[in-house]
Amino acid sequence: MRSSSIEASASREGVVLPATNDLTNRALNVFLADVELKAYRMANIALRHDADALDAVQDAMLQLSRRYAARPPSEWRPLFYRILENRIRDAQRRRTVRGRFMAWLPWNAAEADSAADPLDHAPDLTPGPAAHAEGAEIMVALQAALQRLPTRQRECFLLRSLEGMDVAETAAAMGCSDGSVKTHYSRAVQSLRAQLGEFWT
Amino acid sequence: MKHEETAEFERRTQALLRDSVDRVDGATRSRLAQARSKALEPRSGRSGWLDFRYLAPAGAMAAAALLTVLIVAPRDDSNPVNDSGGGALYDLELLADADAYELTQEADLEFIEWAAAMSEEKAGT
Repeated sequence: MRSSSIEASASREGVVLPATNDLTNRALNVFLADVELKAYRMANIALRHDADALDAVQDAMLQLSRRYAARPPSEWRPLFYRILENRIRDAQRRRTVRGRFMAWLPWNAAEADSAADPLDHAPDLTPGPAAHAEGAEIMVALQAALQRLPTRQRECFLLRSLEGMDVAETAAAMGCSDGSVKTHYSRAVQSLRAQLGEFWT
Repeated sequence: MKHEETAEFERRTQALLRDSVDRVDGATRSRLAQARSKALEPRSGRSGWLDFRYLAPAGAMAAAALLTVLIVAPRDDSNPVNDSGGGALYDLELLADADAYELTQEADLEFIEWAAAMSEEKAGT
């Protein structure tokens, strides 16, 4: 990425460049500013927890900056999302282990069954009477449907729809073949359409 | 027809998702910007393994291991308390003094007793 294009992109997006002459750092700053909100939404949909989502994005940023900054900028996007998905999985595993451990404690024994899976206690995102605005209601329904998708299908759908990656980039980010990406995406769309049919009529 | 419906569905979901990104609140945006800034900070010169994050658990493990050894290891109470080191010192003196060592190895105790009695008699006269 050239210096002039970085500055132009930064001013367009309202990004304040760091007071450093390091070109890589500046390019990385612009890149991270471009992906951070989308990455946060992806993590938030997967984890259903604001703080955990922020932690996952922050860890992914740190990892990319410290380990892969020297790689060509064209590789940053798939690398970043791959790291992010790993962080999301780590957070989900930690939750499961924490849930089991808490259930094992004697004072939690009575609630062992209900505490085993913390996701069971996540807020119910299915649309209710409180969702007045039609757009908000559809978004809530879409989010709930995305959370019900298998992990790889959700990951694939969000990378393509939200991040706007093509098949090859998505395959690189997910560490699978182009064919797998097409299959995951197609199944995700089918499943979402089946779940959201009533909102689309 | 089916393909068009799918394409329309994809367009709508994409628009919804991107709209949800635009509606992320200011506090979260600010925290993300802080996280980005932190990620871009130059690393300190300190090597990774000296980091407190790694030293603290290592120190805790070492302390726990020491405590376990102190609690679990059997205490040797066979020696009387007032004899600790005294016996060893006596052995050392015997080894250093060749005559004394030979004396302890002497089988003829009667001769020793006789010699002692003679020296006492001499002292008495």
